[in-house]
Amino acid sequence: MNAILALAFKDLRLLMRDKVGFFFTFVFPIGYASLFGVIMSGMSGGSESTGGIPVVVVDDDQTDGSAAFIEELVASKEFEIQKSTLDDAGNLVRKGNVLAYIIFPKGFGQARERIFGRIAPRIEIGVDPSRQAEVAMLEGLLTAKLYERVQEAFTNPEVIAKQVDESLANLAGEEDVAPVTRAALMTFLPALKIFSKAMADDDSSGGMSNAIQAANIDVVSVARNETEKLNVYAITFPQGIIWGVMGCTAAFGISLVVERTKGTLLRLQMAPLNRTHVLGGKALACFLTTVTVATVLILFGIVVFKIQPNSYAKLAMGILAVSLAFVGIMMLLSVAGKTEQSAGGIGWAVMMVMAMIGGGMMPLQFLPQFMQDIGSISPVKWSILAIEGATWRNFSYVEMALPCCVLLGIGIVCFTLGARAFKWSS
Amino acid sequence: MLTLSNLKKSFGTIAAVDHLSLEIPKGEVFGLLGPNGAGKSTTVNLAVGLIVPDSGNVSIDGSGSPVDVSVRRKIGVAPQSLAIYEEMSGRENVTFFARLQGLRGRELKKSVDWAMEFVGLADRQHDRSNKYSGGMKRRLNLAVAIAHKPLLLLLDEPTVGVDPQSRNAIFDRILMLREEGCTIVYTTHYMEEAQRLCDRVGIIDGGRLLALDAVESLIAKHGGKRMVIAQTNGKRVEVACDDPLAELQRMQSEGELETFHVERPSLESVFLGLTGRSLRDE
Repeated sequence: MNAILALAFKDLRLLMRDKVGFFFTFVFPIGYASLFGVIMSGMSGGSESTGGIPVVVVDDDQTDGSAAFIEELVASKEFEIQKSTLDDAGNLVRKGNVLAYIIFPKGFGQARERIFGRIAPRIEIGVDPSRQAEVAMLEGLLTAKLYERVQEAFTNPEVIAKQVDESLANLAGEEDVAPVTRAALMTFLPALKIFSKAMADDDSSGGMSNAIQAANIDVVSVARNETEKLNVYAITFPQGIIWGVMGCTAAFGISLVVERTKGTLLRLQMAPLNRTHVLGGKALACFLTTVTVATVLILFGIVVFKIQPNSYAKLAMGILAVSLAFVGIMMLLSVAGKTEQSAGGIGWAVMMVMAMIGGGMMPLQFLPQFMQDIGSISPVKWSILAIEGATWRNFSYVEMALPCCVLLGIGIVCFTLGARAFKWSS
Repeated sequence: MLTLSNLKKSFGTIAAVDHLSLEIPKGEVFGLLGPNGAGKSTTVNLAVGLIVPDSGNVSIDGSGSPVDVSVRRKIGVAPQSLAIYEEMSGRENVTFFARLQGLRGRELKKSVDWAMEFVGLADRQHDRSNKYSGGMKRRLNLAVAIAHKPLLLLLDEPTVGVDPQSRNAIFDRILMLREEGCTIVYTTHYMEEAQRLCDRVGIIDGGRLLALDAVESLIAKHGGKRMVIAQTNGKRVEVACDDPLAELQRMQSEGELETFHVERPSLESVFLGLTGRSLRDE
């Protein structure tokens, strides 16, 4: 055991003195996780940005009604509003600075106020044609905002009564209304006034807004029981950890080849050691380094980015499984090449593919279904799942068992194959 | 100390070592002389248990094969290729390999101090070894091999690529180790090194031991005659003879002897005589 420890500490010392290896093991993963965390926080409404859809509004109506609606949009977290003239608004959209411009034409405010008026409020949207998906979202959000006025009115019988009285008075003054429509409205509007009052008086009904609402949609995060918002760094740091672990794996995979090419393996072979000592020392060093890297990275995430793991015990379980899997992969990679160049090339090529199909470069959810299916063969997928399960997916121990067992299986198979292929004698 | 009995090792159809037997007593510096590819390194690798012979036996200090880990602790090896970690200091290298030999604590420190002092690297022991010159690296290679005070030291071409000053330093250290009772097997294709250092020399070629004896005896047996090289009457003359003085007197009597010198046979001529080719042909 003393020989294995001596070999392991020697490898750790060499790793610490390899500036490039140290960078890819510790610095790069932190940078990766932090950068993608910043990007994702921008996409999902993090603290640095309002996170809303950037639009520019042009108020041609200039009424209290249009101004009030614009203020509602400004106050809304779904939008990031700029006010401008029509010319400037068009330029902003063309340059891609904003998704769209919204023009509130004359009459918008009055039409919005008159719920039962025969003219619907009209708005005009100028959009960036390359962002159709976001445009559809914008239309939906605007429609919802406009509908809020109707919903609000129906929750208050006094407002309904006032709207009904105004509409009936306007109806009396309008001569171009078809007789059938006029008769219908003359019947419907007073009845609505009475219905609204009755619903408001009946406590059990929950008010009229409930009667007209299609559905109550509550959006909850299924990954956590807590009500606090998910920290996006909890999503990016598992990926960062995997990059760190892959950096270790590449460094140690090459080191065995370097020992052979530099002649130090020959001296180890001549020392009172056997192959178990040498492979054990290398595996122990790789294991200690990957555990350290993962721990340092997660501590960095906890301290700097306020990541709150669901369970430290499960996190330790995940990190141990990931480390053991990659120790096995290291052993297999170490016998794949005969020169440093070939071993390094093969190692990184294999790991880049594993990262690509396993969600190490881009979350699996963003990949096509067939890629997600293929990803199951990649240890990167199971590694990320094991760490995510402990950090934000709130896995039970039973749920943690699947990725951890898969990783252990990968580790054992790869280590066995690598150890068998390792040539001890010259 | 080291006994090789009828060793045979082939790689494919090539017999690298062919029924080689020799016995090296304690405290002897034994030179294994031969051209590149003669089988010297294979013999060393067999002696340290790095490779297993197809047939025959290796015994060290009468206690068994070097494949046995406990036997291997008695051996120190300085391989031909520098086998050191360049990102570690000289002292860290020696400490690491000495620890693998089982040294611990005060004994370890004392041994490392001695080894670094012995090879003359004490003042540079904390420098990274990639900052060392070629000669210093060779000396470090030697320090790693001797730190655990082996009974048998195998030095495989220890002066390759070394400047004359470092070479002399290495020679001095080897002779000091012999004084301390260490048995040394020294492989080289530099005959002058073997002549200077070795008590006995074995000449190997094609994996076979061609001759084995003290240097002077080998020269006397296989070196041939002494060579008188003279300039007489404006002509260069080379004559092989048993009595150079008589030959010079004959030349003087026949004409004007302008210049002359006498060359004694060397291990080079021994090798030439045994194999019909030069030691450094390959």
